[in-house]
Amino acid sequence: MSRPGTKRKVGVFICHCGGNISDVVDVKAVREFAGAQDDVVLATDFRFMCSNEGQERLQKEIKEKGLDGVVVACCTPKMYEELFRSKAEEAGMNPYLLEIANIREQCSYAHRHEPQKATAKAMRIVKGQVEKVRKLRPLEVKTAPIHPGVAVIGGGISGIHASILLANLGHKVTLIEKSPTIGGNMARSVKTFPTDDCAMCTLSPKMNEVYNHPGIDLLTYAEVKDAKRSPGKFTLTVEKKPRFVTDACIGCNRCTERCPVSTAKSPIQVSSEWDQGLAKRKAIYLPFPQALPQLWTIDADHCFYFQRGGACRVCQMVCPAEAIDYTMKPETVGLEVGAVIVATGWKEYDPTPLGYLGFGRHPDVLTQMQVARMLDYMGPTKGVVSRPSDGKPAETIVMVQCVGSRGAPGDPDTHEYCSRVCCMVAVKHASLIKKARPAAEIYILYNDLRAYGKGFEEYYAHSMELGVKYVRGLPGKVHTDGGKLRVDVDDMLTGRRLQIPADVVVLSAAMEPAPIDSILSSLHLDKTPDGFIKEYHAKINPTETAVKGVFIAGCAQGPKDITDSIAQAGSAAMSAAVFLGSGEMTLNPLVAEVDPALCRACDRCTEVCEFDAVRVDPDRLVAVVDETSCEGCGKCTVVCPTGAIGVRQFRKPQIVATIDALAPVAVSP
Amino acid sequence: MTFEPEIAAFCCNWCGYAAADQAGAAKLEYPAGVKVIRLMCTGMMDPYYVLRAFERGFDGVIVIGCHLGACHYKSGNVQAQDQVKRVGQVLRALGLGESRLMMTAASAAEGSVFADTANAFVEKVRKLGPSPLREVVAQ
Repeated sequence: MSRPGTKRKVGVFICHCGGNISDVVDVKAVREFAGAQDDVVLATDFRFMCSNEGQERLQKEIKEKGLDGVVVACCTPKMYEELFRSKAEEAGMNPYLLEIANIREQCSYAHRHEPQKATAKAMRIVKGQVEKVRKLRPLEVKTAPIHPGVAVIGGGISGIHASILLANLGHKVTLIEKSPTIGGNMARSVKTFPTDDCAMCTLSPKMNEVYNHPGIDLLTYAEVKDAKRSPGKFTLTVEKKPRFVTDACIGCNRCTERCPVSTAKSPIQVSSEWDQGLAKRKAIYLPFPQALPQLWTIDADHCFYFQRGGACRVCQMVCPAEAIDYTMKPETVGLEVGAVIVATGWKEYDPTPLGYLGFGRHPDVLTQMQVARMLDYMGPTKGVVSRPSDGKPAETIVMVQCVGSRGAPGDPDTHEYCSRVCCMVAVKHASLIKKARPAAEIYILYNDLRAYGKGFEEYYAHSMELGVKYVRGLPGKVHTDGGKLRVDVDDMLTGRRLQIPADVVVLSAAMEPAPIDSILSSLHLDKTPDGFIKEYHAKINPTETAVKGVFIAGCAQGPKDITDSIAQAGSAAMSAAVFLGSGEMTLNPLVAEVDPALCRACDRCTEVCEFDAVRVDPDRLVAVVDETSCEGCGKCTVVCPTGAIGVRQFRKPQIVATIDALAPVAVSP
Repeated sequence: MTFEPEIAAFCCNWCGYAAADQAGAAKLEYPAGVKVIRLMCTGMMDPYYVLRAFERGFDGVIVIGCHLGACHYKSGNVQAQDQVKRVGQVLRALGLGESRLMMTAASAAEGSVFADTANAFVEKVRKLGPSPLREVVAQ
């Protein structure tokens, strides 16, 4: 069959699997059949090919017979293909000339009551792989050096924690944060459950550590605009927005005091992001007292200078440090790193679409993040949860759980997932209010109360001791008639309908992924149906992604509390450190390859590729595959009109050889 | 002798092939005429493979990939659906009919889906009888 000069030396090793195979399949008959195939110079069988003895036999035969092709007929390739290939390589054979014939899962197990048919099928399966191996070429495994350095995107608690760990391990870290300060949502959270620790007291030292760490470059008020992959390297384009305040700023706050924006008669009013819209801020501002870097920022969209053609220069006039520079321009920074950690976090769901809850229609319907700000003694209400309508302390507070979470499948206004933290956030806020003002009446309306974490159940029980009232049932409607709030709810445990007049209604709104679609698409990351970033494996690789060198930490991957965010950030940092520390990455050789002689540069491969892994070189007019980006799916091989592009080890002649060998009718070519 | 259909089952590495493994590991049985050919993704499923399989005497061809939206390579299975549809039209034009060809999905955990699909498809092809091409090719 084979042409002269192309003769191969193929060895076939048939495993008994201690009876799992040999009790059904007549191994001797398969061995004799295999031995009669073209190019097969050795056919043998053994009790356990995966045992040390089996591996040694494989290596001995490869060396002695000078095999340049091996078929191991045993269990599924998902079990031991890698092992046998590495053993073959040790013995001096190219590992990609070894194939597994799956005669256990797909033969002896599935046809154990039909031994004759199973034996016949095993023969065909072995022949299929022998024919494939005869057509295989040795593959070179390429490596690429990994560029030193790591970029961490997102300066919340997850990004902060991962940055510190990696920098302490000696890796050069660039932390990129889009807002003017690091700190993220944890900074706004006032206290943390289940210990009621002051959030800022635990966060602020870590923020300072990041800020002062010689191994961490901090880029705040900066956004990743683009990312390009090449072997072992990511090239990020980061845009630093202009603050219009230079490093000369001494933090005296005179500019903020004198800025006319948001004063009583000002036509420009800005609500504070930090205080969740419950307070105003000036156009030149520091987001919060502990913000890092301690650099003031001018919000050009709401500044008289920029909006009224230079009409106001008050901040420049009062600045003693001459730190105001209205001419600052956006700055583009190119960044080359070997790994990226995406820690872009979450934002609070906007409950406006759920009109029946009254959010956005009545000022006294709030979200939990707004209540967190109210509970801050430096916050808009100095630590007292109050009615925004008249500023009076709220005596009766109704909290509503699962707002935007656990919605009906397919409902466009809500999410199907559980946001995991809202139960404990409600318990925390209710407890804090009760501790400060025991006379306040607090109801938590819930569907299921999930107190799953360490210390959570105790925390929940303690809140009941404090007098927080729990009602099982979610409200049908929050009435706002006559300006007064009333919540109607059916208590599922007593069957009674409650009508609770409330001073304030607090919605426990869902966690949503921060909007980062452009980062995801430039890094080729996917989302799970819930909108969060897709991890490599939801169970065993929750911090890795399908893109080598890109890791995820914190709520970018899914809703979680601070404890879990820290744990995942540590795991992501460890994975990134191992990846960076390995120095070089192995490129998967089972990817597409172009035969330049056949390529017509028609661009069809580039049209179907979903990984931007193939492009047409305009000078040479041939398609070129980027082997780091190619995943080896082979979509391009089907649309290529000339057969110029093929996936290594899955080329058309190789697959056809397997089809022919498995086919019931033997045909001479 | 009773007719035992020979089926070529093109399976993607991540779902279809893993489902076949899972079926075996769970000791679910299906006829030995079902022969699995492993592809990395059904996206590399060339219509030519279907024609080749029939040319070599298979009585039916089944393509098993990941569920829509769960493709390991984003949407290789969508391209495969289009290709299977196209080659089905060719089979109809050839007079072989489209019912000897089918595409379905089974996740890596769905061994029972693989076994059930294999059993049902074999019965369907058994009713259709041997592929008319078998005799032609054998001559």
